[in-house]
Amino acid sequence: MTTSPADVERTVTDFLTRIEKLPEGFGDSTPLYADGAELDSLETAELSATLEDVHGSDPYSSGEMPQTLGEIQAFYAALPA
Amino acid sequence: MTAAATPTGPRVVVVTGGSRGLGAGIVQAYLDAGDIVATCARSITAEVEAWQSDPETADRFLFGTADLARSADAEVFVKAVIEKWGRIDVLINNAGVARDGILGLFSDDDIDTVVDLNIKGTIYMSRLVSRRMLAKGSGSIVNISSIVGLSGYRGLAVYSASKAALDGLTRALARELGSRGITVNSIASGYLRTEMSHGLDEGQLKQIERRTPAGRLGYPEDIARVCQFLTDPAGSYLTGQVIVVDGGLTS
Repeated sequence: MTTSPADVERTVTDFLTRIEKLPEGFGDSTPLYADGAELDSLETAELSATLEDVHGSDPYSSGEMPQTLGEIQAFYAALPA
Repeated sequence: MTAAATPTGPRVVVVTGGSRGLGAGIVQAYLDAGDIVATCARSITAEVEAWQSDPETADRFLFGTADLARSADAEVFVKAVIEKWGRIDVLINNAGVARDGILGLFSDDDIDTVVDLNIKGTIYMSRLVSRRMLAKGSGSIVNISSIVGLSGYRGLAVYSASKAALDGLTRALARELGSRGITVNSIASGYLRTEMSHGLDEGQLKQIERRTPAGRLGYPEDIARVCQFLTDPAGSYLTGQVIVVDGGLTS
């Protein structure tokens, strides 16, 4: 799978669906933690590992702590081609 | 609620420090059981060459040269396993080193050598592999500690501390990962007939043998059998424990 915004969105929404935490109306500015998807620390680690598995790298392992899907997509957009 | 279903087929097993001694015994046990095994060490040995060339094992064995005291080496090794087989089902943190001597005479280098490999190396590997297990929602980790981490031993203060640290890691990780179907246990090994018998001389080993209810020192196979038990997929309710395997010495 590529690191295009659409593919990254699919990975994140599939993950949130699997753990039954996909908020209604989820979008690129919905918070991933409090007042949004409400991911806890272990679920965040699972998301990090899932992103690495699917896309080859992930923002969390690079020291970033994205707050939204949009910030995750921005991480991949900034990677060198 | 019932116990988790037991998956069938070969598992992908990572054994650190599997090129000789206890680690080689553990690698052999998993290969004999039909599993896929990856191991790493700082140098290749005759045992590794045999597994690489044996038609029975060559296709399901991987060796990587790595010094696990270095985070980057651990990462390269784990990536190689994932690239080849796509997952890791079992991690046996066996790699370790002993330096003996009275603590008051220990050098900084010896302290670093023991702490960097025994504690930091185990943590690096557990971090990398537990991420993979989290993504998969299952897995088993076994840390090979030692009875000296429980009882102490004169001249092995740093080694004893490093092994006690692994037992703490085991309990904490078991709590952290238990809800995701990942078990974490320690084996507190007694004294083994391996080349790394903690720098003990033959006289000391004979004395230990006399005090051991089983009447002998342990063999790698004794520990490998317990690894198999602790990583049996049907054993998902056994986690966070330190299993003493010492022929009854500390009972």
